[in-house]
Amino acid sequence: MAAYEGLFDALGLRDWCDAGKVEAPMSMAQLLARSRGGEEAAGAEGGGPPFPSLDVLHAACDRIWQSRDLAAAVERNFLSMRGELKLVLDPLTQPLSWLLDGALHVFQAAPWWAMIPLLVALTWLAARSRPVTLLVACVLLFFAVIDHYEVAMQTLAIVFVCTTLSVLLGVPVGIGMSRSDAARRLAVPVLDLLQTLPTFVYLIPLIFLFSVTESKLYGIAIILYAIVPVIRLTDLGIRLVDRDVIEAADAFGMTRGQKLWRVQLPLALPNIMAGVNQTIMMSLAMVVIASLVSAPGLGVLVLRGIRNLELGTGIVAGLGIVLLAVILDRVSKAALGRVDKSQQPR
Amino acid sequence: MKAPIHVLAAGAACLAAGAAHAECGDVSITEMDWASSAVVTEVASFLMTNGYGCTVQAVPSSITPALASVAETGEPDILTELWTNSSPVYEELLADGKLMELGHVLSDGGVEAWWIPAYLAEAHPELATVEGILANPELVGGRFHDCPAGWACAVVNSNVLRAVGAAEAGLDRFQHGSGETLAAAIAAAYEDEAPWLGYYWAPTSVLGRYPMVQVEVADFDAEAHACNADPDCPEPEPSAFPTAKVVTAVAPSLAEREPEVVAFLSRMSFTNEQMNEVLAWQDANGASYEEAAVYFLTNYPDTWSGWLSDEARGALSALLQ
Repeated sequence: MAAYEGLFDALGLRDWCDAGKVEAPMSMAQLLARSRGGEEAAGAEGGGPPFPSLDVLHAACDRIWQSRDLAAAVERNFLSMRGELKLVLDPLTQPLSWLLDGALHVFQAAPWWAMIPLLVALTWLAARSRPVTLLVACVLLFFAVIDHYEVAMQTLAIVFVCTTLSVLLGVPVGIGMSRSDAARRLAVPVLDLLQTLPTFVYLIPLIFLFSVTESKLYGIAIILYAIVPVIRLTDLGIRLVDRDVIEAADAFGMTRGQKLWRVQLPLALPNIMAGVNQTIMMSLAMVVIASLVSAPGLGVLVLRGIRNLELGTGIVAGLGIVLLAVILDRVSKAALGRVDKSQQPR
Repeated sequence: MKAPIHVLAAGAACLAAGAAHAECGDVSITEMDWASSAVVTEVASFLMTNGYGCTVQAVPSSITPALASVAETGEPDILTELWTNSSPVYEELLADGKLMELGHVLSDGGVEAWWIPAYLAEAHPELATVEGILANPELVGGRFHDCPAGWACAVVNSNVLRAVGAAEAGLDRFQHGSGETLAAAIAAAYEDEAPWLGYYWAPTSVLGRYPMVQVEVADFDAEAHACNADPDCPEPEPSAFPTAKVVTAVAPSLAEREPEVVAFLSRMSFTNEQMNEVLAWQDANGASYEEAAVYFLTNYPDTWSGWLSDEARGALSALLQ
C-alpha cells in the first residue's frame, strides 16, 4: 500500500490514475519488502508520510510522471530540436575550427629556430623587462630540451586562439553590461552558469550537433569557461570610474561614445587587463578538460599519465602546464604594468 | 561446563532463527563507472547485505584508481568487473600478493573489437571485413574512431591499422580524448544513421542500445597481438583482440575476515547473454542500475541462488519461491 493512495481515492481520481497503468520496474525497496514478507514492509513506512515527490506520487497513481520521465523528456526535446540547433550553431561556430586548426598548423609548422626567437622578441616588445624575457627564453628552451616542445606549442596555440577570441567577445559584452543595469541582471546568472556547469554536461550534447572530430568542440569548452573574468572585470572597471570624472566629461559636452573611448575605457584599463590575465590563466586550466574532447597538447600527456599510473609522465606534463601559466602570467602582468604607467600623466 | 554450552546453543538458535547472519562485518566494494559493472555491484551488494548480513559500502571508482588504492592501502576490499587487460599493473599486484583473483565475473569474457553500426552492415555487407572497408573507406566516413591515449587498446589499434595499411587506403585514425566522447560519437552517428567505424567493447549499455556488427580483422594470433600491444612493435601483423578476462578480485585481508563472502564472490558469474539482456531491458525502460539489479534478481533466481551458501539461501528464501 503506497502512501497517498487514499488521497487520490478521496479526490475521485482512482479511475483516471489506473487508466495509464503500465508495468513499472521494481525498485530495490519493493524487492526488499518482498524478501521480508508483508509485516515488515508496513513497518518501514513509519515515521510519518514520505515527502510527496514525483516518485512517491507515482507509486500511488500511475498517471503521475516519475522523476526519470523528466530527464527522458529533456533528452527527447533536445534530440528533436537537434536539426534546427545544428543549422544555426554549426555555421556560426565553424570559424572557430578554422582558427584553431590554422593556429595549430602555424605553431607546429614553424621551425624551432624561428619560433623560439620570435616568441622571445614578442615578449620583449610586450614586457620590456629583462628578467621576464630571460624567463620566457629559459622555459621555452627547457621544453625543447625535455622533448616537450611540440606539445607545449600545441597548448600555446590553443590558449592563444581561445584567449584572443575571449577578449574580443568579452570586452564588448562587459561594456554592454556596465551601461545597463537590466543587461547586467540578465548576464550575471549566465556568467555564474558558465563558471559552474560541469563541462561535459554541455560538451556531450554538442557532439550530437557537430562532429566529434571538429576542433571547435574544445574551443567552445575553453572559451565559455575563460570568457567570464574578462566580462566581469570590464564591467566592474567601468563601473568603478569616478563619478566626478564622468561629471567633468559631461560638463565638457562629451558624447556617450567619446566618454567611453576617452574616459571610461582608459581608466578601466587596469581592471580589464587583470581580467585578461585571469582569462589566460583559466584557458590554461581548461587544457586537461579540453584534452578529454581530443584537444592535442600537454593535456593528453597528463591524461595518459593518470590512466596508466605513469606518475612521472603526468607530473612532468602537469608542471609543464604550470610553467606555461607562469610565463604567460608574467608577460601579461609586465605588459599590464607598462600600459598602466603609460596612462599616468607626466 | 554444562551451563555455558546451553547458553551458546541457545544463542546460536536465536541467531539462526533471527537474521541467520551475524558474522559478516563491514565490506567495501568498487562501483566502476560503466553500466555492467554498476549492475554487478548492485547485485553483489544486495546479496551480501541480505544474504550474509554484511554492511556494504559501494565506492565509486574506475580500474586504475581502484588498483592503486588497493595496492597502497588494502582498500576497497572487493574489486569487481576488473578488465585485467586494461591495466598492466594488475598482474604485478597478483604476483605481489596484494590482490587475490577470485573468478570470472563475466563468464564469457569481454569482447573487444572493431564495429560498424548494424544499418551500415545491412546497406553494405562487404564492410563486415577489414578488406571491404579498406576498399571503400568513404563508406565508413574515412575515419577510424580509436580509444583515448593511455588505454591499452589505443596502442593495439594503431599497430593493427598500420599492419593493414589503413593510412595508405585513406582511412584516418581519430583518437578520442575520453571514453565518453567515444560513446557519444556512436550515439550521434546512430541519430543521423551516419557512417561510423571504430573500437568498442561488450557487454556495455552502448552496444546493448545501438546494435553494432563486428568487423572481421583477422583471427586472433597470440604472438602478433603481443607485438601489437607494444608501442615500438617493429612489424605489426593484423590480429583480432583476445577475449578479455573479466574478474572479481579481493584484497587478501578480506579472505581471512570473511571466507563465506569470498566463497560467494568467487561463484558470482554472469554470462554475456544475461548481462546484455539486463542492460537492454534497463535501457528500454529508462531504469536505474538499482532497478536493473532488481530485474536480474527477480528474473534469474536460479542463477544467483547457485552462488550462495545454504545459510544465505535460507535468508533469501522468500525471493526464491
